[in-house]
Amino acid sequence: MSVSRKKGIDYWLPKLVVSPTLVIALVFFYGFVLWTTFISFTNSSFLPSYDLVGFDQYVRLFMNPRWLNAMWNLVVFGVLFIGICMVVGLVMAILLDQNIRAEGAIRTIYLYPMALSFIVTGTVWKWLLNPTVGIEKFVISLGWDSFIFDWIIDPDMAIYTVVIAGVWQASGFVMAIFLAGLRGIDTSIIKAAQLDGANLFAVYTRIIIPSMRPVFFSAFIMLAHIAIKSFDLVIALTGGGPGNSTDVPAIFMYQFSFQRGQLGIGAASAVIMLMTVLAILVPYLYSELRTPKNG
Amino acid sequence: MAELKIDNVYKSFGEEHILKGISLDVTDGEFIILVGPSGCGKSTLLNCIAGLEDVTTGDILLGDTNVTYEAPKDRDIAMVFQSYALYPNMNVRKNIAFGLEIRKMPKAEIAEEVARVAKLLQIEPLLDRKPSQLSGGQRQRVAMGRALARRPKIYLFDEPLSNLDAKLRVEMRTEMKKLHQRLGTTIVYVTHDQIEAMTLADRIAVMKGGIVQQFGTPQEVYDDPANMFVAGFMGSPSMNFLRCEVTKQEKDYAVQIESQGTIFQLPVDPKQADLSSYVGKTVVLGIRPEQITHVMPHLVAEQYITQVPVKIEVTEPTGADTLVLARINDQECECRVHPQEAGKVGESMELLFNMSKAVFFDEQTEARL
Amino acid sequence: MAKSKNPSYANINGRAVLYAVLIIVAAYYLLPLILMIVTSFRSMDEIRMGQLIEWPKTFSFDAWTMAWSEVQIGAREERGLRPYFINSILMVIPSVAISTILGALNGYVLSFWKFRGSELFFAALLIGCFLPFQAILLPQSQLLGWLGLSGSLVGLILTHVVYGVSFTTLFFRNYYVNLPHELVKAAKLDGAGFWVIFFRIILPLSAPILVVTVIWQFTQIWNDFLFGVVFSDPSTQPVTVGLNNMVNSSTGEKQYNVDMAGAIIAALPTIVVYVVAGKYFVRGLTAGSVKG
Repeated sequence: MSVSRKKGIDYWLPKLVVSPTLVIALVFFYGFVLWTTFISFTNSSFLPSYDLVGFDQYVRLFMNPRWLNAMWNLVVFGVLFIGICMVVGLVMAILLDQNIRAEGAIRTIYLYPMALSFIVTGTVWKWLLNPTVGIEKFVISLGWDSFIFDWIIDPDMAIYTVVIAGVWQASGFVMAIFLAGLRGIDTSIIKAAQLDGANLFAVYTRIIIPSMRPVFFSAFIMLAHIAIKSFDLVIALTGGGPGNSTDVPAIFMYQFSFQRGQLGIGAASAVIMLMTVLAILVPYLYSELRTPKNG
Repeated sequence: MAELKIDNVYKSFGEEHILKGISLDVTDGEFIILVGPSGCGKSTLLNCIAGLEDVTTGDILLGDTNVTYEAPKDRDIAMVFQSYALYPNMNVRKNIAFGLEIRKMPKAEIAEEVARVAKLLQIEPLLDRKPSQLSGGQRQRVAMGRALARRPKIYLFDEPLSNLDAKLRVEMRTEMKKLHQRLGTTIVYVTHDQIEAMTLADRIAVMKGGIVQQFGTPQEVYDDPANMFVAGFMGSPSMNFLRCEVTKQEKDYAVQIESQGTIFQLPVDPKQADLSSYVGKTVVLGIRPEQITHVMPHLVAEQYITQVPVKIEVTEPTGADTLVLARINDQECECRVHPQEAGKVGESMELLFNMSKAVFFDEQTEARL
Repeated sequence: MAKSKNPSYANINGRAVLYAVLIIVAAYYLLPLILMIVTSFRSMDEIRMGQLIEWPKTFSFDAWTMAWSEVQIGAREERGLRPYFINSILMVIPSVAISTILGALNGYVLSFWKFRGSELFFAALLIGCFLPFQAILLPQSQLLGWLGLSGSLVGLILTHVVYGVSFTTLFFRNYYVNLPHELVKAAKLDGAGFWVIFFRIILPLSAPILVVTVIWQFTQIWNDFLFGVVFSDPSTQPVTVGLNNMVNSSTGEKQYNVDMAGAIIAALPTIVVYVVAGKYFVRGLTAGSVKG
């Protein structure tokens, strides 16, 4: 007769099975972030050094005009990219929700860009937007001699080309999410509103869109995440140029860490990027956890 | 086959106390039912017996083995779940054989067992089908078959009939009773349906709030409830509870009721309760609808039967009889009369109150007097 | 499915405008792809004399053979995108397999064998879905160097597995949570243990989520550029890096047709997967999102 709790294999095995992943999380997520943060407080250059220099690297970072430009670009790109994607996605979702024939085919067409690598997207749009061979030349050849569309080589406008390519890639995805959200709305609420006399426009603006709040948040979070990480797209499309005009934090970090041998600043820039992501994520998670969910 | 002993079992989930000191003895071959409202802890208790949950304190003994800390598979128990939990990717035959294969029974023996069980439950034609191809009743039988094939010491049933439609439920209830009579197995069965409990059980444990309120035979629980909860829970339509004042009538005691302005004294059978300390106070009179009937001449003169005229508020014909809702002591009272004797709403009719089975409860504690 | 039907949209004009808009937008999405395909079949002479955006006068496969096995990329001796393509395959298959298996096991434990701290573990793991990888590039390259895996395929595979396991675990766990738990209870009572339940009961029921996860991981890893460019050396670079190098190495005139052919080569596997199993791909994309 056993009096103590028998801890058979079924007690240890589950823990054993997830332990590799636990190690992964501890080392590769938390451990690495801590290491990077630590390095950002040192004077590491080509190789990591462990001599602490306080906030020096951060000061250097924010005094670097290239970094400030990169952050600004991120803001511009982020706001436009997220904003346009959300609007386009929402409008397209609403349109697709109107009982369209061949809806499946259309959805497939809208969504396929998301299956492509950002490098591929950047490559294609690079040529499309190239004034000497792409759209500008094409439109001119149609007879509109004075058509100019040379944003991609214009330092002031180049960042907007990144927006164009990014929106092309991601808006279909946003549309798919919004469509799923629209479809998840209880029809009886809509019917009640229609009985109350609301027309289609009112139904959309007063009932459907407000009840899609969680979906909007999800889409926003994902788009923000894509925007902050954007590296591939810019590299392929403009290489960060012309000059440094389309520089973004991710490129700055890569170049300073792996090409210029300035690990300290590189680490600092990485930490700033992480903080930015957290600044968006944490309030979102907090509000998600606070509001009681259905069920 | 063995006896089951649950010894002072407590079970908490953190700060939430689900089971608060459960002690039950089940003898070999008994059909025990745990019944109670949702949240009373009956399913948790069943899971503890099965070993799917650990008890916080207390012991569970199977036969003379303390299985409190044994894994489910070592307890020699079989369970039938509310959703049947048949393995969707296996056909019926494999579903039944699964547990036997795990126990490394030789293939020939497994085939024999499957055949035996299939014959017993009449599911032979279904053996090669998958669960998705079976009806609700068929799935239920396969689930039972899976349990029977294991020939365990105890069978546990967790609301197995709840997912069936009403008619099928009644049919399966009878089947289950027949099966138990035939096999003589020890069964612990959970349900929230008190009719199922009454018809199937050898003994019923009525639970509420993690405590066994009463543990007895169906008739005991019905006629002799331990408290107001048990009295009100068992029986459908449920027992009437009337608050009345206790009065002293010469040698006996009575409770006072008022109907349509007139006062009547209902005599209290001293075998049912001793109300001597409650004279002048209010007690709760528990009387079942079938004890309040239309006037049957041969009963009128019986000792504990009183004739009272009442005003009919609502009638509910059920076919076999008609339930009449009357107002007594300014409280609602359900009475059962013959359909042809029932009056119309608004009218007055004479009823006989049979006090020989009446029970009494303390107004505050709800305990049985 | 919720559809709001309102009489004012049933009229012909409204519907016509609706379809027109949808078709225009569809054209906007399709044009770049069509351009890529079309351009890849033209010869440079044509492009020089005519337009980038034009229907080919002659069909030639020259650009394709160039892109695949002839064009010089950087200073590599081997020609064409083929070696990069092969690298991608060698990298993707183990990465997808390992991260999926880990995700399935983790999801299994987190759904059916919960223990104290398991939910906390899950939450802590989810951070991997949101981490900007810049925050780990430096330490990871240090670690790979220390392990002697710098620039190796194994190092790349390790990286992809480590940073993919958060997603795969999320997918499987959310799927398993919706399976009836009584199945596992019944199996435990039948005497089945941890592994038997996984292989004989849960795994057979996992086909839908397996497909979603494999497609998602395949797409993410195949299309990755950042890890490919940071953690590989010239002999192990994946096709995304190869494409970028090919397009951006300016030796002489830009061969647009070769670039386009190269882009299609790089994109082909994920597009094929999308076309064939797109339904599951969408499910994967929206799996974490609508619930948040």
